[in-house]
Amino acid sequence: MVTAQDALLAQMRRGTLQYCVLSLLADEERYGFDLVRGLAEMDGMVTSEGTIYPLLSRLRRDGLVESNWQESPSGPPRRYYRLTTAGRAALDGFRLEWRRFRDAVDHFVERTESK
Amino acid sequence: MSTSADKLVEEYLDRLERELADFPSARRRELVQEISDHIAEARAALESESEADVRNLLDRMGDPADIAAEARGPVAETAPGGAPIVERRSRALDVAALILLLIGGVVIPVIGWLVGVVLLWISSAWTARQKLLGTLVVPGGLALPVGILVVATSGSACIQEPIPGAGVQPICSSGWDSGQIVGSIVVALLAAASIATIVYLGRRMSRNAEVAAG
Repeated sequence: MVTAQDALLAQMRRGTLQYCVLSLLADEERYGFDLVRGLAEMDGMVTSEGTIYPLLSRLRRDGLVESNWQESPSGPPRRYYRLTTAGRAALDGFRLEWRRFRDAVDHFVERTESK
Repeated sequence: MSTSADKLVEEYLDRLERELADFPSARRRELVQEISDHIAEARAALESESEADVRNLLDRMGDPADIAAEARGPVAETAPGGAPIVERRSRALDVAALILLLIGGVVIPVIGWLVGVVLLWISSAWTARQKLLGTLVVPGGLALPVGILVVATSGSACIQEPIPGAGVQPICSSGWDSGQIVGSIVVALLAAASIATIVYLGRRMSRNAEVAAG
């Protein structure tokens, strides 16, 4: 059964995932498989690894990331993604808002727990 | 590399392909290729591949339906940003256009229907051909058959005519003469055509919206 809480968590994950992808690309370019592995390392962030690819394609269409193909030492060429200026601006903006939101929620949620 | 594992992967990619059937072929090919490359690289990283390993790997990839849903874009309700709200607002205008086309002229003669026509033509929910259809079938919407009905019934009211010997007797046409039958059929056809057009445009509207979301 999908509870309201499950649905909320799924939505939060979904909404924030693209900023996690942008964060992973903040310092270095990465290709799809590498990005997915980076996200999957954190427990609870990605439930379906395959959904990262349509997300990447959307970020590309929105101009937040750009990509180019590079030869791989093994196997077929890989598509590497990197942040655009717009992507960096979107990430910075989100970071600010996220901290405010996180601190506000923590302020209430953590206080009642510590009692 | 076991053949049963190959078969599992093949089935998975086939399923994904089917889920993406309504996508432009270039986008479908690209996405299937990316997922396929990902699976190939993940399999290459396995030390010794068992069927269970591959099943786990495919489970982690997720249901092809979920991948297709993500590719279709966020659902309007859950999407951040302003675009979906604009979408919903124009959707409301589209519905208003259909209602006004149908009964606008009955509520406010001529003007009500004209507003509906304007809303119809500024909307992006229909093609030019569908808009032309909505305008021409039937001009005025239900107001036309209703108008005909009103004019006809007031015109065919009882005729007061003095009849020699019987004083003044209203002659009311009791029963149906052939003119009335034809008139009723025309009115019914106009009303039916008008309603059918609006129903058709309503269906088109939702279908066009689905395609646009893809």
